[in-house]
Amino acid sequence: MKKAVSILLAVLMALSCVLVLTACDGNNDPTDPATNGDATPVAQSLAVCLASEPDTIDPALNSAVDGATLVIHAFSGLIGYQQTADGNLELYAECAKEIPEGTVGEDGKVTYVFELKDGLKWSDGSDLTAADFVYAWNRAASPLTAADYGYMFDIIDGYAEMNEVDDNEELVNPDAKLNVTADGNKLTVVTTVEVPYFYELLAFPTYMPVKQSVVEANPDGWATDPSTYVSNGAYTMTEWAHDSKIVYTKNENYYNADAVTMDTIEFYLSDDANNMLANFKNGDWLFIDDVPNAEMAALEADYEDEYFVEGQLGTYYVCFNVNKSLLPEGNTLEGAEKEAAEAEIRSALGLLLDRNYIVEEISQAGEVPASSFVAMGLTEVDGSEFYKNAGSSEEYFGYYSTAKDAFESNCATAVETLKKYYTYDEATAKFTNFPTVEYIYNDNQGHQLIGEYIQQAFAAYGITMTLTSQEWNTFLNTRKNGEYNIARNGWLADYNDPISFLDMWITSSGNNDVQFGKDAHADLAVYSVDLTELGIDYVVENGTWAETYDYIIGLVKSSTDAELRYALMHVAEDLLMSTGAICPIYYYTDVFMCDDAVSGWFSSPLGYKYFMYSTVAE
Amino acid sequence: MSKMFLYVLKRVLLGLLAIFIIITVTFFVMHAVPGGPFLSEKAVTPAVTAALEAKYGLDKPLGEQYLTYLKDIILHFDFGPSLKNRGRDVIDIMTDGFKVSAKLGGTAAICAIFGGLTLGSIAAIFRNKFIDRIIMIITTAFVAMPSFIIGTLFLMFFCVKLGWFPANGDAAGGTILPVITLMLYPMSYITRLTRSSMLDVLGQDYVRTARAKGVGNMGVIFKHALKNACLPVVTYAGPMLAFIVTGSLVVEQIFAVPGIGRRFVSSIINRDYTMIMGTTIFLAVLIIVMTLLCDIIYKLVDPRIDFDK
Repeated sequence: MKKAVSILLAVLMALSCVLVLTACDGNNDPTDPATNGDATPVAQSLAVCLASEPDTIDPALNSAVDGATLVIHAFSGLIGYQQTADGNLELYAECAKEIPEGTVGEDGKVTYVFELKDGLKWSDGSDLTAADFVYAWNRAASPLTAADYGYMFDIIDGYAEMNEVDDNEELVNPDAKLNVTADGNKLTVVTTVEVPYFYELLAFPTYMPVKQSVVEANPDGWATDPSTYVSNGAYTMTEWAHDSKIVYTKNENYYNADAVTMDTIEFYLSDDANNMLANFKNGDWLFIDDVPNAEMAALEADYEDEYFVEGQLGTYYVCFNVNKSLLPEGNTLEGAEKEAAEAEIRSALGLLLDRNYIVEEISQAGEVPASSFVAMGLTEVDGSEFYKNAGSSEEYFGYYSTAKDAFESNCATAVETLKKYYTYDEATAKFTNFPTVEYIYNDNQGHQLIGEYIQQAFAAYGITMTLTSQEWNTFLNTRKNGEYNIARNGWLADYNDPISFLDMWITSSGNNDVQFGKDAHADLAVYSVDLTELGIDYVVENGTWAETYDYIIGLVKSSTDAELRYALMHVAEDLLMSTGAICPIYYYTDVFMCDDAVSGWFSSPLGYKYFMYSTVAE
Repeated sequence: MSKMFLYVLKRVLLGLLAIFIIITVTFFVMHAVPGGPFLSEKAVTPAVTAALEAKYGLDKPLGEQYLTYLKDIILHFDFGPSLKNRGRDVIDIMTDGFKVSAKLGGTAAICAIFGGLTLGSIAAIFRNKFIDRIIMIITTAFVAMPSFIIGTLFLMFFCVKLGWFPANGDAAGGTILPVITLMLYPMSYITRLTRSSMLDVLGQDYVRTARAKGVGNMGVIFKHALKNACLPVVTYAGPMLAFIVTGSLVVEQIFAVPGIGRRFVSSIINRDYTMIMGTTIFLAVLIIVMTLLCDIIYKLVDPRIDFDK
């Protein structure tokens, strides 16, 4: 026994060194396409990393940006995006033969008739018909599918009936369907109103077709198994090594397969930006969609041609809870007067922040200081930028100036406003009776740094703000329930239309973190709108949030006149910003790195990346 | 042997009781934490939330959910579907991850134990000589440095600067650096343990007897001294396991190793209830089984230890 143990110990000791080498030898891939074959053209392969394991790549269920990129490589919708010669993006008819004009009916509903291209096939070789779209859309829009983005179908006739619930949260019409019909290769779609972003929605992943027989055979798991992930786009999934990589191989049944230049795409899965960067630097991964914040400045200088900062349709902002007071103790204002004072105070606090300092010294990802809630990049009917037309100033865009030299005067204005409500000590240039406020943010270094900056900026005027970091899920819960005073917030649009920023602030919206129209704010009649100038006979003086903001958004959603729609959205944003409850900080950017050997790829303002037409130079 | 059987049986039963308590506490604490699995930055409609809750049985009273959960795992060994990774079962996710983590952690543990025993013995033999000093300096450094620092340094130096190893933990040769990162701390600790206990053992009478009988230096060390000297190491094996399990969390993240470690944290952040339960039960079973194994090995190595106590 003794001897056995001794010998065992000695042998194992020797073995231990060998073990490191043998046990570690992972999956050797003997068929590296890059080195294969001399006579035939070298098969093109691209290794990229977008994010960690996607929650789902089912077109209907996905709501993440990385998942969307995976979906658009495997599926194609009626309409798709392509890059023009000058580098811009344009919509083109993908599965559809052409993009049809809609016909407006007497009831204001619009009918679109799409004709599918001839000979469209699924990746398993079977025929794809208009009925596949009908199935996929009804599936995605049905509350029983429980898709995050089911509401993307709310402009299609029938959606409201499908999703109507009674007081017990039971569906009123469980058999209701979208007003979408198929006849062979013809797909007829009826929308409730004419909306300018309808064609854009058709290029959105949630609108991609799925094959009914495959989905119904395994409703939960079909999109996790390469053998059942039947698609109709440029690629099919050929491997999913969970938490490691997803491999896409060119789909020979794709109608435009000849144009697809990249044969294989390996989507590596990593949730660590530093790891991504290491893989990019040593040349293993040619594209990475995330960059460590701390390295951004250095990378921008060192990798001039490989570091990209693209605009993104999103705004980083600070929100105030409208049901929490900022007035000093002993203040006797009430009702409308009180709310007017609170709005003034919130707006003034927003002016004390140097947004240029935040983007240049803290976030450092090429963000643009924001002076409006609707982000940079969203366009009007005439193609001009919505944010440039926001606010009423002739001198600057938005609701205050973000010019560097305007910061001092902004602060001076803010101090003058605050003096109306607080005691100001001229000797120390500080307010002495501003109540202590709390700022909450989710646990992340970037958010913390911005929180600390705001704390410091307020402290300079004697305003004490405490910082509370919360874990992500708790934070979402706290913010949604309005159990906060001031909170960090951010919003990314789903499509290029300002309504995607504005309809979140109606009373009933699930994203109404500011608590507009809720609790005490519901009865506050302090808002005024006059729409007569726009040709609408609606004047409200001292109305509630529901009578003003909610009403305007309702008009926007049912409006068929594009110019009027945009004018109304400006009115809505003016009203929103007048509350001071939204304090925009910067417009988001999308930062990523791509090796200069890769050409022909492009990205969209929604953050999706397109690699199908890319090539890798030797 | 029957004594030992009774001992093991007792420990297994106690282990089962512990696991039951862990399941119960985790289940209720997890549901008491604010937030939920279907909460996201962009709110979903109430109809969608209701449909999701009905689908996963979260609309039922908590007590009923708890009983259903217990029944499923006991009768069917069914841990349910993940609430976050749509279409995947918790057991599949854990099995996939565990295969990778077990290889990583197992290799690191074995290398740490035997590397540490070897280095510790060498240091003891060459006590206060140059080689001993070098070993002590290096091991002190590695005991003091946390694995996320070592891992990041390795990543920068060996993967990026020198390009010797891939930075992707799932590529060929990609697990070498994670294994080394993971084993350095326990190996250094074991080296120091072995050195001091070896010095202690080498001064004892039975070793002097062995030498007097003409046993060579190597024979003394490996045949006589090492077995006694490694007793503290066996004691340390339990805490080491805990270190490796928690360490794998950081190391897997740094090197993008598709192991189970990252799930411990991500499942909680996501409020992926079934996944939280799965990983917790898994970790509890692992630690209970490994502690029991350590105790049995302890007995095998040192017959003086009595199971009755």
